[in-house]
Amino acid sequence: MSGAENAVLRVNDLSITYGHGDHAVHAVRNVTLSIAPGEAYGLIGESGSGKSTVAFSIMGHVVGGRVSSGSIQLDRRELLTMSPREWQDVRGNRIAMVYQDPMNALNPAFRLGAQVAETLIRHRGMSREDAWAKAVDLFRQVRLPDPEQLVNRYPHQISGGQQQRVVIAMAIACEAQLLIMDEPTTGLDITTEAHILELIADLRQRLGIAILFISHNLRVVAQVCDRVGVLYAGQMVEEGPADAVLQKARHPYTMGLNGSLLPISGEVRRLKPIAGRLPDLRQVPQGCIFAPRCAYATDQCRTMDPQIQVVGKRHVSRCMFSELVPPADRFIEMGSRHAPGDSVAPQLSVVDLDYSYARRGMPLPFLARKARAKALDRVTLAIRPGETLGIVGESGSGKSTLARCIAGLRSPDRGAVRLEGRRLEPLAGQRSREARQRVQIVFQNPDSSLNPLRTVGDIVGRPLGLYNVVPEEERRKRTIELLEMVNLEERYMTRYPRELSGGEKQRVNIARALGADPEIIICDEPTSALDISVQASVLNTLIDLRTQKDMAYVFITHDLGVVRYIADRVAVMYGGSVVETGRTDQVFSSPGHPYTEMLLNAIPDGTRGRKALLEVEDSRPKPIQGVGCVFADRCLQYRGRECDEVLPPVRLGQDGHMVNCHRALASA
Amino acid sequence: MTTLATDPQAARSSRILTYLRPAEIYVVFLLLLIAIGPYIAPYSAYDFDPASSLLKPSWAHPFGTDEFGRDVFSRILAGARPTLLPAFASAVLGIIAGTTTGLICGLMGGRTDQWIMRGMDVLLSFPALILAMLVVTMLGGSTTILVFAIALIFWPRSARLIRSAALDIGKREFIEACRARGEGMGYILFREMLPNLRSVVIVDLALRCSYAILLSASLAYLGMGAQAPTPAWGLMVKEGQQFIQFAPWLTIFPCLTVALVATGTVLLGENVRRRFAISQRLAR
Repeated sequence: MSGAENAVLRVNDLSITYGHGDHAVHAVRNVTLSIAPGEAYGLIGESGSGKSTVAFSIMGHVVGGRVSSGSIQLDRRELLTMSPREWQDVRGNRIAMVYQDPMNALNPAFRLGAQVAETLIRHRGMSREDAWAKAVDLFRQVRLPDPEQLVNRYPHQISGGQQQRVVIAMAIACEAQLLIMDEPTTGLDITTEAHILELIADLRQRLGIAILFISHNLRVVAQVCDRVGVLYAGQMVEEGPADAVLQKARHPYTMGLNGSLLPISGEVRRLKPIAGRLPDLRQVPQGCIFAPRCAYATDQCRTMDPQIQVVGKRHVSRCMFSELVPPADRFIEMGSRHAPGDSVAPQLSVVDLDYSYARRGMPLPFLARKARAKALDRVTLAIRPGETLGIVGESGSGKSTLARCIAGLRSPDRGAVRLEGRRLEPLAGQRSREARQRVQIVFQNPDSSLNPLRTVGDIVGRPLGLYNVVPEEERRKRTIELLEMVNLEERYMTRYPRELSGGEKQRVNIARALGADPEIIICDEPTSALDISVQASVLNTLIDLRTQKDMAYVFITHDLGVVRYIADRVAVMYGGSVVETGRTDQVFSSPGHPYTEMLLNAIPDGTRGRKALLEVEDSRPKPIQGVGCVFADRCLQYRGRECDEVLPPVRLGQDGHMVNCHRALASA
Repeated sequence: MTTLATDPQAARSSRILTYLRPAEIYVVFLLLLIAIGPYIAPYSAYDFDPASSLLKPSWAHPFGTDEFGRDVFSRILAGARPTLLPAFASAVLGIIAGTTTGLICGLMGGRTDQWIMRGMDVLLSFPALILAMLVVTMLGGSTTILVFAIALIFWPRSARLIRSAALDIGKREFIEACRARGEGMGYILFREMLPNLRSVVIVDLALRCSYAILLSASLAYLGMGAQAPTPAWGLMVKEGQQFIQFAPWLTIFPCLTVALVATGTVLLGENVRRRFAISQRLAR
């Protein structure tokens, strides 16, 4: 929308269409943006907003679609009319791309060094030796440990964060003018994300490279970018300086996005998600594209195309009433909640649970003797009636395994799950019907947790029949009631999962769990695959259900914002162990374990610039499970041999605050 | 967005569909042949007519006659039933056994899967024809035994195929949801998993049918299964072989029939597979 004279990239009036005739989807419509040298431009929007389509069109890939109008210029050279030969010089050389999934961007059959060297040999005409030497240098630049050794490794031998560093090294190898990053940190753990973001900021400073940064995470974008463009349904609705867009958004859609962001400090108040869903882009309606979901829409909005309005310094919004729309009141009061006190006996408890993977190998006894990786190590937890226990941790911390052990999908090596003090059989099939009915589970992946060949009515109605919750003739009525509880109408009964959006699928999942009339629902990352606006409304549904039915949740997530929003108590897991438990406010305000501190520190806070990260620089050997503290190799409070060799003691604080650490609790 | 982006591809495939439609008509024709073949045959398939033995193909006898003066065309029509019915029966039986085994392996995984599949490997290690001959020689050459022998050949092959597809389905969370609810094994296997594998099963069935036709013809040719005077196609080839130098029509026409029927069934399988591939892609 604004055009700097010397822009590196200038996208002008770009429109991209998929399909033909009546089925044509106008995925991107009249998008204009420009990026100055050295500038970081953030493009945000929900899935389906067209942000990746824009990115791929800049790389010259519009698969299955066509550019119906507009131009894309790199350094005043038109890209859209280039021949495939000319493109070869541009791709990877002048524009480089960092993809969301590093595992897909790296070829598993080649050594890491070879993949970086390939680009250099091709574009820079370097000799093999020079290219490999340069690869080592690049690995050093992206701060990979031990670059000389690492170039000889294969992608699967390094962690996800390191893989993404390699991809970044490949992208900066040819000193491209423009770096396109498509959700580069989305699949990564929060601490890893913080490091990659820090690296990006650092590279920008040193190399002066222009960046087009695509993300759905507003805080991440605000931390990296100077300017931000907000895409909605293929149209740019707001553009401006990053902090202005995040803090003083003028377009109702951006306000809605901001309103769906979970606060990481201050009072917890109810989120205000955006109602409705993305419009069907086969028939682009007249008037403002956001009008059907806009709380402020008037008749004028529905008939007239809104023009771009200047609302601040280099800040524009595609809303007729930018001046009139009140600054967003981000939250509604959250009803007061009385979490059960410590004196209440736990409803569900997990006692000394151990689970390891390696034993499930080949049926050859002598092979099974090798060291077992413990996914769960003496996990003990309790959930009181009507309480929400949040379980947080990075990937690999064992939180999903724990959920599956509680649900009876995995049989633990040792320890027990108890329901009201009674020990449950390890596997669901062996448990009593009553026990299975009382504990239900909602899975993470909305696409794989519903049978694609069953209608919503079948799916939700199944537990009713299985557990005989209501007599047969009332089942249909009850199914409709269940759907209504999760804010889905009766017409969804006959739909198939493929006809639903991610958020709707997750609602069906919740409705299915509710069908059993349970007392406890285990939620295994139920919102991590959803857009933030959808996440907000699903979380609100869960909170409302909790109030209505006095339900207890075991809520598993990697997102600290989500935990803070929904949980009464939190358990922090690391390396298969629970390292800290306590009341949510307690854990967030005075974390007792160094790992919790590190997690809290890693949350992007939406302010720009480099963040001082709490992470050890020197590498210590990985601790041996069951001998010392699991966190010893990454701990900032490392005390030497004590941490390596002695199991950390349990330290008790107030109100059931419990920390497994050699360091004494500050509050105790 | 992704669904619609693949639209042109779907359009292209539907063109292939219209192109392949004759395969379906062809199979309907085959079924008709089995049902009414013997009744529309111009001559009897069994009665001797020494006066017209070993006649060349002509308008009166389009495929010629054999050494006993029986009309080859009529015999082929009458032979559809004894050739195709056991073939289809054995394919269905083999697929049922294989699908059930494959589903169980896919759902259970781990040790159960390993043991069952090693057992299947033992069966697989016998060459198909030799295994069938072994069974027929050991248990006798009745049609029922023949059907079981061919089904036994198909069992491990089908199990392998279904298992690989079922492993993917078995890992999905909706199956885990079933287990957590405490659903019975039969419900999970046949109500939740099987519908998701129907395209694989149907395609496998069509391919096995064509293979079964070839196998039963081969066995008949080797003197197993159908016995004279049954006009089974494989048997006809065997009987005609001795006259191949001066009456080649006795072998050529039954051979051609077997080839055409087998190809037609394969085409149908391919056709069905494409159709499922499209509907599944749209379903994603």
